[in-house]
Amino acid sequence: MSSFRKINEKLVTLGVRYVSGPKRKYPINPALADDLPVFQYKPSKKTHRVFCWGNAQTGALGIKGLLEKEATTLRFPKRLGFGEKFEVVTAAAGYGFTVFAIDSSTDVKLYGTGINSDSQLGLHEIRKDHPLEIIFYPQPISLPIRYPETTKILKLAAGRAHLLVLTDEGVFLLGNNAYGQCGRKIIPNEDYIKSNVINHLDKIDGKNIVDVECGQDHSLLLAEDGSVYTCGWGADGQTGLGHFKSTENFSKVEGDIQGEKIVQLACKSDFVLALNDKGEAFGWGNTEYGQISLPNNEQQLANPTCIDMVNKLGKITSVASGGSFCLVANDSGQVFSWGYGLLGLGPNADMSKKPLKIPETLFGRNDFQPDTRVIKVRCGLNYSAAVTNSGDLFVWGRNRDCCLGLGHEKDQYFPLKVAIGGFVQDVFCGLDHTVALCKPFI
Amino acid sequence: MLVPEAPAVWNALKGLICIYKPAEVPVKKLRNIFIHKMCQELNNLKVRPPSGYVDIQGDPSKQLTVLVRPNLADNPLVVGPRYQEQDLPVSWSNYLGYNTSGVLLFGVKSGTKQAKHIRENLPTRSYRVKGVLGQVTDNCYKTGKVIQKSTWKHVKRENMDKFLSAMQAAHQKKMFELCGVDMQSQAAYDLAIQGLIRPANSKIPVIYGIKCVEFDGPEFTLEIQCVNEYEDYLMHLINEIGLKLHSTAHCTGIQCIRHSRFTIENALLMKHWTLPNILENMEKCEEVLKNNQGTSVTLA
Repeated sequence: MSSFRKINEKLVTLGVRYVSGPKRKYPINPALADDLPVFQYKPSKKTHRVFCWGNAQTGALGIKGLLEKEATTLRFPKRLGFGEKFEVVTAAAGYGFTVFAIDSSTDVKLYGTGINSDSQLGLHEIRKDHPLEIIFYPQPISLPIRYPETTKILKLAAGRAHLLVLTDEGVFLLGNNAYGQCGRKIIPNEDYIKSNVINHLDKIDGKNIVDVECGQDHSLLLAEDGSVYTCGWGADGQTGLGHFKSTENFSKVEGDIQGEKIVQLACKSDFVLALNDKGEAFGWGNTEYGQISLPNNEQQLANPTCIDMVNKLGKITSVASGGSFCLVANDSGQVFSWGYGLLGLGPNADMSKKPLKIPETLFGRNDFQPDTRVIKVRCGLNYSAAVTNSGDLFVWGRNRDCCLGLGHEKDQYFPLKVAIGGFVQDVFCGLDHTVALCKPFI
Repeated sequence: MLVPEAPAVWNALKGLICIYKPAEVPVKKLRNIFIHKMCQELNNLKVRPPSGYVDIQGDPSKQLTVLVRPNLADNPLVVGPRYQEQDLPVSWSNYLGYNTSGVLLFGVKSGTKQAKHIRENLPTRSYRVKGVLGQVTDNCYKTGKVIQKSTWKHVKRENMDKFLSAMQAAHQKKMFELCGVDMQSQAAYDLAIQGLIRPANSKIPVIYGIKCVEFDGPEFTLEIQCVNEYEDYLMHLINEIGLKLHSTAHCTGIQCIRHSRFTIENALLMKHWTLPNILENMEKCEEVLKNNQGTSVTLA
């Protein structure tokens, strides 16, 4: 036996492979592999996947099973079955409700789920005079579209209790109009639950509308020439019209943005950030958390103001404004935040009047991924999200009802990746739930 | 020809050596072969001659005669060769599985301590892993029995790249959770801004970088930087990648191309295992260690 071993060792030292391997009771017959059937796998049929997580009690997640399980929160991103049935092109998350726009040639292009206390998801009457105030599974919202075959939904925006739908035919406005945020006359003591009023704006001042955005109780429209129109609640100057009154009709915003071509608007509660084509940021609204430092300790700003401290940071490509803080990303993928709250710079940084840079390493840039950069930033009311060019989603902030999707209920003090099975395209942050639109890997 | 003194060579034979492990040889066997080869070479050198046997003869009350005779108790024919296999302590710093080839670090004599320190420092390793789409085997390796076949033509290079980058990001997130600090503390933030950190646990595999370096027909090659991995893990990783890409895959080869700072250029092939080469390799390894003291965490 030892001589045999020695011969083998000799063989190995001479460069001959040692002849052994896993012991098998029955030797493999390679011919058997030829008889096996070949499974016909294919790439995904749907080009989009929808994931959602956060508070399940409002029904905003649109997952039927959660109701039966009596789950209060969804801690991890879950793939939405609705997204498998329909081709979801865009979505919006409001305060406890979600709307999805789908690719269809009928007049049913919009589905909504969640709180429907002000008919922001349309009128859903099962019995006469008993409309649904809460919807647990996406239901079609019918819009008075003139040409259903060709019209497409371009963008959705959701506020506290109102909804803006931008289509090729103009904007449709649904829901609460207590402050004129739907752009129509305020009717005192209007019964919104039983209302089925959908306001329609074809054009604004004869110009096409290219973008919509909602604050808490106000609405913003962006016309094709880059001018901004607002209406709704203006008690903190968030309409930017130079006064602090509520506005019923969309009016043009002036101030520093007059003559500028605005390309992007961002607002979640009562501070608005606007971005022009040169990459400069403007802001107006409630600045009590130091979003813009004003002389005399003023806290309301009713005129759009250029934010000089942000314009020094390079060309800004994406802006986001949360409840008490702001977030911008520049063209080299750096992210800056300022204001009050969890700014993403650890537990010690909770207040800053100057933009602070969040280190790029936190967004996954390292020796192995040197090209990663942030392309989109989004804000919920108390949390923030960033999407990178490699399709990863990073979140940080207050974890109200697990809206961060990190699997626990604790706050997150710096950006951390969310485990999502897809290539993240866009993310929509609400009050306590989040919706992400992803592409499949294959 | 001048034959060097074996004891001098024996004394110089200590430290780390970097060798190339061929596939289908277990590390333990390789270690035995190495020791056997070293002892054989040492014994071929000029070894210590047998010591003399001092024999004192005669009556103690009278004059004694002192003779020095050949000592049979120290003769190689009686006690065996001068350098024996159990006398040379050798340990490995990274364990490579049976089917893996590539860089392997051996610590010889006092170098066993260095090998242990390198092992306990959890250094990262780079692998080149080859796979084939379309077939899955029972042990996820090419030696296994084919249990399923599927189509693979819809898998493109960009699908692979997209999925691997997502996988890499997911592993890097896991790395934070395994670093052993409270995520809600300032310490966690201070760690996170440093970039890549090594896990506190030496059992859970973490992938730092994974990318496709070659994609040709059903065959593909991945380059993986990781820590705490083992052969089976890498094989099953290929299987999982195949499933996630709506196909099937099995592994056809694993090569370790870097262990800590030791690359495949440093590695000594089995056919070059001679004493001069080994001693030269030891010096080179010493140099590598000296040049890279206190450098980047990610590659060390």
